[in-house]
Order: sequence, then C-alpha cells, then structure tokens
Amino acid sequence: MLGKHIRLMLIATAAGALAVAVIAAGSAGAKPSATPTIGVSFDLLNQIRKAELTGIKQYAAKKHVKILFSVANNDANQQSQQIQNFISQHVTGVIAIAQNGDQIVSSIRAANRAGIPFATIDRAPGKGGKVVAQVTGNALGDGSKVANYMCSLRKPLNVLLMVGALTDANAIGRRDGFLSAAKSCSSIKVVQQLPTNWDPTTALNGVTNAFQAHPEIDAIFDPSDYLLPAVVSALKATQHFYPVGNAKHVTIVTIDGDNNGCYALRTKWIDADVATQVGEFGPSAIDAILANKAAKVVKVPGLTLSQQNYKATHSSVWGCAYGPNGFKK
Amino acid sequence: MSATFTGATRRYTGTLGEVLLRNTVLIAAAVVFVAFSLASSKFASGSNLRNIAIQGSGSAVMAVGMTFVIITAGIDLSIGAILFLSTAGVAELFVHGLPVVWAPLVAVLFGLGLGALNGASIAFVGINPLIVTLATLNLYRGVGGHLTGFSTVYLPPGMTKFGTGTVASIPAPIVVAAVVALVGGVVLRRTVFGRHVQAIGANAEAARNLGLPVRRVLVGVYAISGLTAAFAGLIENGRLGALQPTVGLGEELTVITAVVLGGTSLFGGKGSILGSLFGVALLQMVANGLVLAHISPYVFDMLRASVLIVAVLIGTSRARGLRAVPIVRRGRLEVGP
Repeated sequence: MLGKHIRLMLIATAAGALAVAVIAAGSAGAKPSATPTIGVSFDLLNQIRKAELTGIKQYAAKKHVKILFSVANNDANQQSQQIQNFISQHVTGVIAIAQNGDQIVSSIRAANRAGIPFATIDRAPGKGGKVVAQVTGNALGDGSKVANYMCSLRKPLNVLLMVGALTDANAIGRRDGFLSAAKSCSSIKVVQQLPTNWDPTTALNGVTNAFQAHPEIDAIFDPSDYLLPAVVSALKATQHFYPVGNAKHVTIVTIDGDNNGCYALRTKWIDADVATQVGEFGPSAIDAILANKAAKVVKVPGLTLSQQNYKATHSSVWGCAYGPNGFKK
Repeated sequence: MSATFTGATRRYTGTLGEVLLRNTVLIAAAVVFVAFSLASSKFASGSNLRNIAIQGSGSAVMAVGMTFVIITAGIDLSIGAILFLSTAGVAELFVHGLPVVWAPLVAVLFGLGLGALNGASIAFVGINPLIVTLATLNLYRGVGGHLTGFSTVYLPPGMTKFGTGTVASIPAPIVVAAVVALVGGVVLRRTVFGRHVQAIGANAEAARNLGLPVRRVLVGVYAISGLTAAFAGLIENGRLGALQPTVGLGEELTVITAVVLGGTSLFGGKGSILGSLFGVALLQMVANGLVLAHISPYVFDMLRASVLIVAVLIGTSRARGLRAVPIVRRGRLEVGP
C-alpha cells in the first residue's frame, strides 16, 4: 500500500517537473515576433462580449495584428494567470475586460514592469497601474440619454428606476446620469429605486413588488437589456403589459442595444434603447497599444435607438445583427 | 410543561427559553411580518402575500431537497447550476425537435441524473460533498453556457406553464411547491428511506455498522436535491419566460440560509421540511418588504447579510441550548440534540 503511494508520488513529481521544464523552455525561447501580437483577456463570454471580440478581431485583421484570446469565466484569479501567460509570451500589448476593477491592477503593474502596454475596455480599472487606454461606454451619458428620451415624450411619468449592482461603476453611472438629467425635467418623477444585482429573478420579483407598492408606475428605466425578459414577465404578471401605442402601455427605456433590446423594439415591447457602441472599443484600444503613448480615456457615447428612428438606425446597433435567441441572423 | 435539571447542564429550566429556541424562525417570521405591515399598508394585503408565495416557490422547492442533504451533514452547492442546466438541456433538445409536452419530464430527469452524479461521487468515490458540488457547480453551469452560447433563450409557452399557469385558480408555482413539500415531508418522516437519512446524519459510522445502505441513501439524497432544483428551474425560468445564463447564480446560499434558519442542523441528524419552508418565507418577506417599505437600496444587502448572520447565531445557540433541554416524546425522556 505504502509502495503504491510512493510510486504515485514519484510519477506525479516527475510529471510536474517535466511540465515546469517545458514551460520554462517555452518561456525562455519566446521572443517578440515580427507580427504584433495582442493578448485579449475577457471576464466572460456572452452576447455583448462576442460583439466586442468581433470588433477587436476585425480591426486587428485590418492592422495585421495577431490576437491571442482567453476567457476568465468570472474568476479574477484565473484572469490574472491568463494575463501573466501573455506577459510571459512577450506579447506586444494586452487588452482586458476586468472581472474585478481593483484586482486587475496587479496584472497592469506586472505588464508595466515588463514594458508591455496595457489597455482596458468596457470596465474601468482601479487606481495603481498605468494603462495606455481606458475605453468604456459613457455610463453617465447613457443614463442621461434615457432621461432625455423620457422627457422628450412630453407627458408626466412616474418612473421605476432599476439599478444594476450597487458595486458596479456602470450601474451607478447609469443611475446617476439618469437622476441628474431627470432633475431638469419636471415631467419625470422617480417613485422607486430598485437594486437588481443584474440578476433576472431579483429583477422580476422586484418589479412585481414595486407595482404592488406603486400601481401608478407608468415608466421603467431598465439599465440593461439583459433584464428585459424579467421586466416583461413582471408586467405580464401584474397585468401591465401592453405594446407601444396602447393607451395603457408602460414606457420602457433600456441600455445596451443587445439582441434582447433590438427584438423588444421590433416587437414594440419597449420605447427606446440607448445602444452601447461596443464595436468601437477594440479599435481604440488597439490603436493606443500600437502607438504606446500617454494614457487616454475614451468614453464612447451611446446611440439612442427608438421606435421613431428604428428603421434608419438599427443597422448601426450591434445587437440587431442577432435573432432573439442570440443566433446570428 | 416545566422541565427539571440537575448539575451543570441546567440552562433552560422554564418553558419560555425552550419555546423560543424551538420556534425561532416562526418568531422571527412573525416579527418581520408585523414590522413590515406597520411600515407599509400594502404588505399584508392578500395580493402581496400571494406575490410572496409565488416568488418564494422556487426557493421553497429547492429547500426541500436541501433539507434532505443537510440532514445527512452534507451540502449541495450545485443546485443553482442544476436549475440552469436542466432547463438549458431541454431547450437544446427542443431546438432539435423534442415535443414541448415532454420538456418538463425531461428537465426533471436531467436534474435527477445530475444530482445522482453528485451523490455517486460523494458516496462511492468518497470525495467531500463541498468539493464535489463546488466542482459540479462550475461544470454544470459551464455545460449549460456552452449549450445556450451564454445567450438569452426565450422559452415556448408550453415550457412556461410551471411559472405562469394556474391550477384551480391557484398559481402553479405555489401548487408545485406545496406538492413537493408535502411529498418531501412524508418521505422524510414516514418512510424507511427518511429514517435512514436521519440516522446517517446523526452518526454515519453507526449507521454503517448497523448495516444501513449508507451509499445508496446518499446517492438518493443528492438525486432528490437535483430533482427539486430541476423543478425550481421549471418554476423560475417559466416565470421569466426565458432562460438566462445567470439564472440561479448564488441561489444555493439563499436556500442553505433558509434551511438553517428553519432549524436544520449543519452538523446533520435533525431538521424539518416545515422549518425550511418558514425559513424561505422569512427571507422572501424581507426581500418583498424592503421594496414596499421604501428602504434605501444600500440597506438591502446589509439586511440580507444580517439575516444570514442571525441564522448562523440561531443555529449555534440552538445547538448549545437545546443540548440541555429534555424532550418528552412518545412517552420517554430524551435529551435534545
């Protein structure tokens, strides 16, 4: 029995040593290649991330840049290891969507020490490291566009203000942008704020409860298209679901411009969607890495897609390229 | 009843301490109910109580399965992922031509199988339940994500009936939760399997020495947990009308909290389905009441965390306190756990 354990330990040790030797040899032999190579690390892979990746790949092909891609599956430690692997391979630069804005700072510092330019997209990093670019949507601006759209309807609205996760800068930015713009619009009255933690079930229950407390709600600011199925289900459950054009319709304005939002606009469930132009994130980050100059902060403004401009504008919105279940049309 | 004690174990000699310790979740639920009823006139209305019941149905169904698991001194962290994967698997089969009428049955069988896989890994391979279900949490969610492409999948009407339908004017989620809880209660209290579950939780080694089929019972317990997670998936995804990649994420913690609040010991051996249902009701009332009472959104998480801490404190103090409380049951004197 003991002999068997010792044999197993010896085999494991030998395998481990071999793996370390191979990695070390690979690392020592790796040199910067002639073709610029950018390591791309995403926090997760969903519809919006696929659109962001497409933007990166298309622009990289145009610039003759090779892309190495990894996904951290919502795990900040895994993302740190993946970025370390890019650094070990002496990539030309790193583009990351941080799983955690603060935890990614150690990876940025490691890239800084190795002289590798680092760019973050979609989510801003915490303070500490140096990035050549920080490309995000404009959360405050998008939130204020939602309020401006509601204000443009020129009718009194009792608004249910849904909030994403209270620890997420995008969620807070969208809410604060909305509240700030709503202050200067006398027709908007926020009757309830509802934290959802970006969770569809929490959103479904919360919206149902909010209608219980405030039957007078006649407008909803949904901070993400991802929560739209929950909003629609809650409206159906509380007998408040009527399409755009019906006198009893509850005004709904969302943010993102994903396939859910585009589908909801087509089927007249919602009034407008402020689309984040995610396809522009990658090109700005790649340009910054190749130029490797002083840091720049790029805030890509959202594009308001509404029932009024849908025909003319929907082709510019990334989510409209997909069917309602996320399959490419 | 007044119990008498001698020696160092005398800690709760009156009835009040004992009653409080044995019914903490009921008392807490009553306090929360009264507090929110005072804070909002709409809280105690019939339609809102119906809302609370519907919203808590999914968690209640999962709490039934989790009660079995925790009574065996185990844990199942994968229920949220099973909730997601069981519906994702069916949605994938539906795309490939599965008639929608078979969808609920197939989803439930998926859940049963995924739970049994957990149980087999624990019982026959001997891996710790925490490790097994932590691993399968990631595995099942990853497989589900692969099947759906991490996209929102709108479900056909036939698959949403468990969430939005009615049975004799009673919302289907409430009916499903009631039936699952009733069956769970009967299995736990009135069957040989249920007694084996409690015996294994109280002392697995002694149960093994007595010749009880410990491994088979453990596989059965985790299969039940998977089964109830799949039922919860039918309810929650049905209510949403769509399958979303984060559905059920973190739900295992809510369910475990409810079960512990309801008096099931994390150390195994004791617990009740009814207690777990009260635990779910308490948590759901808090979630609902916070919205109706206009509590600041920043307080939501603090209050939820406080409930969790209180649950743990209750569990610990109950275990300590009741150890010294005699119980007159079936005509003989026993010492409480």
